[in-house]
Amino acid sequence: MVRSVLHVDMDAFYVSVELLRRPELRGRPVVVGGAGRRGVVAAASYEARRYGVYSAMPSAIARRRCPHAVFLHGDHALYSATSTQVSEIFNRFTPLVEPLSLDEAFLDVTGVRHLFGDARTIGERIRSQISDELSLSCSVGAAPNKFLAKLASVAAKPQVTASGVRPGEGVVVIEPGEEQAFLHPLAVGRIWGVGPVTLERLEAVGIHTVGDLAGADGALLASVLGARQATHLAALAVGHDDRPVEPERASRSISHESTFAHDLYDEEAIRQQIVRMADGVATRLRAGVLAARTITLKARYGDFTTITRSVTVAEPVSSAPDIMALVAPLLGQLHRERGVRLLGVVASKLGPPHRQLSFDDLDEVRHRDTDRAARAIDEVRSRFGTGAIGPASTLDAGGLNPVRQSADAWGPDDLRGPRRVEDRDETCETERRAEE
Amino acid sequence: MKFRCERDILADALVTASRAATSRTSTHPVLAGLRLDVSDDQLTLTGTDLELTIRLSVEVGMDTEGSAVVPARLVTDIVRALPAGTVTVETNSDDVIISAGRAQFAVRPFAVDDYPAQAGPDGEPVSIDAALLMSALRQVVRAASTDEARPVLTGVLISADEEGLWVVATDGYRLAVRNLGAAGLLTSGQSVLIPARALSELQRLLPAADHVSVRFGSRSAEFELGTTYLSTRLIDGDFPNYRNLLPSSHPNTLTIGREALLEALRRVRILAQDSRVVRLSLGGEVVELTVVAQDVGNASEAVDARYEGAEMVVGFNPDFLAAGADALDGDELTVELNDPGKPVVLRGVGDDDYLYLLMPVRV
Repeated sequence: MVRSVLHVDMDAFYVSVELLRRPELRGRPVVVGGAGRRGVVAAASYEARRYGVYSAMPSAIARRRCPHAVFLHGDHALYSATSTQVSEIFNRFTPLVEPLSLDEAFLDVTGVRHLFGDARTIGERIRSQISDELSLSCSVGAAPNKFLAKLASVAAKPQVTASGVRPGEGVVVIEPGEEQAFLHPLAVGRIWGVGPVTLERLEAVGIHTVGDLAGADGALLASVLGARQATHLAALAVGHDDRPVEPERASRSISHESTFAHDLYDEEAIRQQIVRMADGVATRLRAGVLAARTITLKARYGDFTTITRSVTVAEPVSSAPDIMALVAPLLGQLHRERGVRLLGVVASKLGPPHRQLSFDDLDEVRHRDTDRAARAIDEVRSRFGTGAIGPASTLDAGGLNPVRQSADAWGPDDLRGPRRVEDRDETCETERRAEE
Repeated sequence: MKFRCERDILADALVTASRAATSRTSTHPVLAGLRLDVSDDQLTLTGTDLELTIRLSVEVGMDTEGSAVVPARLVTDIVRALPAGTVTVETNSDDVIISAGRAQFAVRPFAVDDYPAQAGPDGEPVSIDAALLMSALRQVVRAASTDEARPVLTGVLISADEEGLWVVATDGYRLAVRNLGAAGLLTSGQSVLIPARALSELQRLLPAADHVSVRFGSRSAEFELGTTYLSTRLIDGDFPNYRNLLPSSHPNTLTIGREALLEALRRVRILAQDSRVVRLSLGGEVVELTVVAQDVGNASEAVDARYEGAEMVVGFNPDFLAAGADALDGDELTVELNDPGKPVVLRGVGDDDYLYLLMPVRV
């Protein structure tokens, strides 16, 4: 049976979520992430893209290209919550949802076509439900496999042109039999797995489009790319891809890491950052009803060498004090004099939070019940927000500042760093609002 | 020093004494050695790490009396590898020469004067039946801790009161208590705390003996079994008041075949890899044992049982539970429960002298 795979990609997701709460910025170039000295751009509005600002670009370059853009701090917690709402809409149609990131996912709707209609119908229903309920737009590619579906969603996207943003088709379907016609005109660099090196090699032998690739001699390809990659690319070039849509698997590790605006040398400052991350990791462990038997401390020095130190215990841990008890002895092994640029805490060997009770647990007075304390913290946060309670180490001039989920995912964050920088801008206000 | 001895007899003696020698020799390298003393056709071998000492004597053919301290591991390996038959050991000015058939080894010894002197016996000897002591140690030593961070729990308590002699160990998660009745090792009110490691070594020596002569001194305990002698320092410190841990009542009781439970545990724990928990679902004619290993699979087995009490699911470390069931005597055992967060008591049906208290795993 020919499969129906959808690739749903939210349009300028982070920016669109920000615009919902700051509608006055609509129509202006908006950049999320990169507000700090060492930041990178996490997302750019279509208006900003007209100035050549793209995600993953260092913020310094983005500022040069588009100095009048509004730079916003990322609010990962908000995007994550919104992403969950989007996933709930996907789940109305199929349980076979494979998230790729917060803003895109594959859906296998092969088995539910008789319930909801063909792939185009399902794609359009998903688009309209996301638009009606969340006021967000997305683009949907539908095809017999993941490779083509992803290419189709790109074709469905709004287009940035010199004169402005042209709306996209919204849903693009590649029907069985249309694969070649769709693929062959595309530049060969659009294929997954064709990086700069491969592209250079292909172009050296005159292969510029996917059509060129499909028509290329197998022996020639193998001599240029090696047998394995040649076979792989040749299959993609004719639109063949049999990878299944795999619903999210249980994660193997949970981690937080932070790059600092200024390298850290002070023992106490380092410890405070670790406490903050231990709290963040512990909170996410408990949210997933998990506990970890291995805790790893990661550090990157000013010279970019990275070290990791791990400790594994018999009894799994899921509270910040228990994680700190394991990490604290590792802190002494850091070479602080080299300057610490990045710190991270990783929890792995995850499992259910079983705990072998000991006779000490029977002694209510003597026993430090970190589990009960952790449950109380989770309860407070679920009612009053993440910033309502946290380790004292996360206290700074602005109040409690615990880790928000992957808040630092797009680079260092000067305003929350151990040393505040002076160049505050309007994003500061945004951040506070996000915390309220 | 020069003597002859059958290879197998010498090898066994070396292995036994070596168990007290230590490989952790940073401060006292000589403790990696065994002291050999020959006189009156007797070879006496001594191994010690200053906490545990094992000494034994074997008959040998003596040419010259004398003493030497030889590297324990090395000489044991050499003697075991020699051809069967008579082994000759002698010292010359520099080396200890070990030979058998046409094989010969010269081994650099330690200085005899560096070997620590052994204290003489301390206290009055008391005799106890070796089989009785053996049974108590088998049941109790397993519950002692191996975590040196809590030294008191690495010991086995032997104490006497008006109810008789008690042998007790706990690692903080489980507790094993055996009553030896009027065994008379101690007078009422006395107690000693003996390192479990020393008692594990004693367990290896006991099957060869009928009676054990025991001396408890203020700092050490000594056990004599014929020509074999074991002494150990005692542990300082107060053993936890374990009687407070024993539940005063138990509304729920499971009665189950001991071998059936052990068999089922042996099977399902194959899957209890990282999670290390087996769930017991109690409430009917059978007990359901379940192990769920994330990303691996699961296992379950129903075992016939009698249960009186409230329905509940309680989790255990399968190794701890099996160790308790294995320690009990009798064909059937009872598990006395309160709730899934409170300790349970395992007893052999018809055996009032032993109990095994175990904390559950919170699931």
